[in-house]
Parts: sequence; structure tokens; C-alpha cells
Amino acid sequence: MEQEMFNQRTDLSQLSAAVDQIRQSLSHVIIGQKDTIDLLIAGLLADGHLLLEGVPGVAKTLSAKLVAKCISATFSRIQFTPDLMPSDVLGTAVFSPKTAEFQFRQGPIFGNIILVDEINRAPAKTQSALFEAMEERQITVDGNTYKLEEPFMVLATQNPIEQEGTYRLPEAQLDRFLFKIEVKYPSLEEEIEILTSQHQQRTEDQLKEIKPVLSVEQIKALRATIKSLFVEPKLLAYVAQITHETRHNKSLYLGASPRASLAMVNGAKAIAAMAGRDFVTPDDIVKVAAPVLAHRIMLSPEKEMEGLTTADVVAQIIKKIEVPR
Amino acid sequence: MRLLLVFFIVFIWTSNAHATAVQKPVAKPAVVKKGIILKSDSSKVDLRKFDETAVKKYSVQKDFIYDDVAPQSLSLWDRFWRWIWRLINNIFSGGITGSIIKYVLIAVVIAIVVFAVIKLIGLDYKFLTGKSKAVAIPFEESLENIHEIDFDEQIDFALQNGNYRLAVRLLYLKTLKHLSDKQLINWQPEKTNQAYVLELENENYKQEFNTLTNQFEYIWYGEFFIDKSSFEPINQSFLQFNQKTI
Repeated sequence: MEQEMFNQRTDLSQLSAAVDQIRQSLSHVIIGQKDTIDLLIAGLLADGHLLLEGVPGVAKTLSAKLVAKCISATFSRIQFTPDLMPSDVLGTAVFSPKTAEFQFRQGPIFGNIILVDEINRAPAKTQSALFEAMEERQITVDGNTYKLEEPFMVLATQNPIEQEGTYRLPEAQLDRFLFKIEVKYPSLEEEIEILTSQHQQRTEDQLKEIKPVLSVEQIKALRATIKSLFVEPKLLAYVAQITHETRHNKSLYLGASPRASLAMVNGAKAIAAMAGRDFVTPDDIVKVAAPVLAHRIMLSPEKEMEGLTTADVVAQIIKKIEVPR
Repeated sequence: MRLLLVFFIVFIWTSNAHATAVQKPVAKPAVVKKGIILKSDSSKVDLRKFDETAVKKYSVQKDFIYDDVAPQSLSLWDRFWRWIWRLINNIFSGGITGSIIKYVLIAVVIAIVVFAVIKLIGLDYKFLTGKSKAVAIPFEESLENIHEIDFDEQIDFALQNGNYRLAVRLLYLKTLKHLSDKQLINWQPEKTNQAYVLELENENYKQEFNTLTNQFEYIWYGEFFIDKSSFEPINQSFLQFNQKTI
């Protein structure tokens, strides 16, 4: 009805069709996890890097692989291990006997969609190799800078920090992820459906059936459309208030950066576009607040001891701030 | 700072515990065997005497006068404390009742100390149960209280000025107030519009209010153009909904 009353200023038909196709492809293989799938698509459209966190066996890697499969782009996978070196990620200079010169051999970071599996199993030295790539979309090796091809997206998976053999990611790196998506256990009904699907050997066939939905050019166009969506100034102030509150909240040791505010606006735009709107509402902002902020803030030691989580604090902050109407 | 205070309390506690004297077993006197003849000491003894002048000299110095100070009469405050300590001593030195009271008092003191420590380091006592406290956050002053606005007057004023966008906003706020008055929603300034939609239990109301919410959002947050002719059907839909929910 609204679409009839208010003619759309922005053509979102191509985006809606693409989103529906990706949703359909993913939901064929991944049972349940509707919010995870929506955030994965939102992250892809908002030109952000995504971090999937969950206990082993909840289809984090599978989700990331499926998203990559929906896009007709170069894909590489890096399995992060404790002995991985920065040069294993970025590439290294190799001496060529023919030319008697060193030649740069590209690492797996050179791709459009990079799946970094179990990112928190590598030490901080290797993590830092990703800093420049994730933020500036380029890498510098031996004084030479190499631009990474657009679109460039890092899809990382990690186990919770409490798991054995994991390192805490540096704050600077966490800040570079648009969303941290928590992949939860499936419900009982969903688990029965997973077992039935596996038992009938449907999953493997469905995996093979997934065809790319979007080309690189289409992704670029959709991202440009999303960037142009309208955000009312009062809503920008609402976002700033939420981020600002994280810096003064007594439960927090570290607040969110301005990059978090930008991420919240971009994420909310993608959510709005997925809902068929060319403007953002407070609901869109609230929906992305926890995935944007929860990994960027740090609890004070007392609150951590009490068992409070960063997502709880974000929820408390949202409850404190009046929705602009 | 809090941790420093806790450390201090624990330090005082433990140092008092160490300060209790440990009595060593008294050695039994050696038994002198019979039949041993002790020979008399025949060595020459050189008797030495105190220097009288030196003793006199020291005896007049204040530092070497060890006479006890004559007890002074006790003040009321001291008598009060003496009475308190005597009372406590009587309680603790009693029979079974005394020991029960003693343990109760010790438990109370321990509870007070634990409570003080928890308070000092700012811990929530609910952490013992594994649940975290729901931190009550003071509400920031709402810019507008929907219960204090004269909506009809404000809407008329907005329409007279041709501000149809503001008129739709006021219509929406009026509907929220109406739903709140009818206890169909729980009005809280921090709730989003969709939260109110989900709060409505009646499916028909939910559907209609969702439509009204979308209209408001398109005009208010989306800044879609609205004029007199497009305002009329929207106004009607708001009026109809409010009449339905009376």
C-alpha cells in the first residue's frame, strides 16, 4: 500500500530480486539462522567485512562459503593457524634466477571474497597483516603498495575466546569488521530438519546447485545505490548518541569509535534497502546496533566478572536513548 | 582504589590472625641422677660493686624512673566501654547460650565484612547465582511528553501553516497516546515504532496500525512529499483507527 501511495525515489527492484535469490539459495542449505543470513546479505551490500562467531559445528564456514558462492567473483580461503606468517597471507618476494631479480608472488589476500577461517587461531603478528588490507584495500610489501581489486570483502569465522587455542583479536582489527554475527545453536525443530536433510543426502546436491546470483559489476552498482539512501538528520543524531553513550557508560572500559557510527549508518541503510525502503528508520538502526557495536566495545573487569555481555550493554544503551519521532 | 581497600581489609584480617601467640610446650626439668657427687667450686671470686655515683646520676634522670603512674579516675566514656567489654566477656564466657551467641555474633561480623567488600569493589551480589543485575539506567528527559500535548490544537496549527508533514507526525503521536491510554501498548520513549506494532495483540489492530506506522515513517523519516490532497486519506485512516480502538 505504501509503495502505491509513495512512489519510490530510488529503484530498488534489482536489489530486492538479488536479495530474494541469495536468501533462497542460502536457506536451501542452511536450515534456520534467518537473522544470520540477513546480516550476511546486509554486510555484503554495505561493503563491509564480516566476522562470524560461534561454537564449532554451527555452519559458520558453510555460511561464509555460500555467500561467496552467490557472487561471481574470485574467492580464496585462508585457514588461520598458530604458525601462519604474514607473508603467507600477503605474499612474498621470490628470487627469479631467469631475471636475477626478486619478483612479488601474490598471497591469498588477492581476491574479491576472502574467507579467513578460524581467524583467532593465529597470533597478533599475523592478524596485523590484515589491517591495511581491510581498511585501505591495499597491501604494502617491501616498500611497494599493491591495490586490491574491488569488491574486496573479508569473511572471517572464529570460535568464542573461551575455546581452547584461541587468541583475542586486536581491537584495531575488530573495529574493521562491519558486523560481528553471532551464529547460535539451531532450535530443536531446525536440528531435526538438518538431520533429515543430511540423511536424505540433499545438502550436497543443494550445495552444487547454488549458482552465482550477482556479478562484480552488479555488486558495485548495488553498493552505490545503498550509499545514496536517505537518512533523516535526527536519525544521524540518534546514531551518534548511541555511540557517544558507549564512551561514557560505566559498564564499559572501551567505547566505540566514530568508525562504529559510520558502520551503523551503512548497515542500517542496507537493512532499509532489503526491506524495500530508500530511507532509514530507527528500527533499522536498532537492528544493526548490537552486531556493529558488541565487538567494538570492552566491558569493565567488574561487569565481566558479573557475567554481563557487551550485547547486554548495547541493549541497555538503546533503552536509555529516546527514539526520534 | 576499590581493590586497594579490599587488599587492606584482607591484610588487616590476616595480620591479626598471625598475631595470636603460639604457646610453646614447657620443657620438663631434667631429672638429676642420684649418686653424682658435686665438687665445691674453689675458684676465687672477685666481688664487684656498683658505682654509687653513677647510680645516683641515673636515678634522677626522667628516662630511668620506672615508678608506675598513679591510676587516674575513669571518665564516663571509659566506664561505658569498660561496661561494654565486661558485658561481652560475660556473654562469651557463659555456657551453651554464650557459645551460641558467640557464633551468631561472629557470623554477623563476617557477613558485614563480606557485604562491605562486595560493596567496595562494586560487585553485584546476584553474580553468585550466575545472573547479572539488570542495571537500571536513568531515563533521559524526553523531549516531548505525549500526555501533555494538546494534539487537536497542534494539528490545527500545523494545517493552518500548511505543514502537513508535521500534522502526520502529530497524528501518529496522538494515536500512540490513544493506544497507551487504552492500555493496548506500554508507552516508553525508547521503543521503536515496530515494537509498538508487535505489542498489539489484536491482529486487525496490528495490521492497521502497521499501515499507519508505515505511512508515518515514509513521510517523517523518508521525507516524502505530502500536500493537502494526499493528507486527507491519511488523516481519515488515522481517525478511523482511533475510533475503532475506543
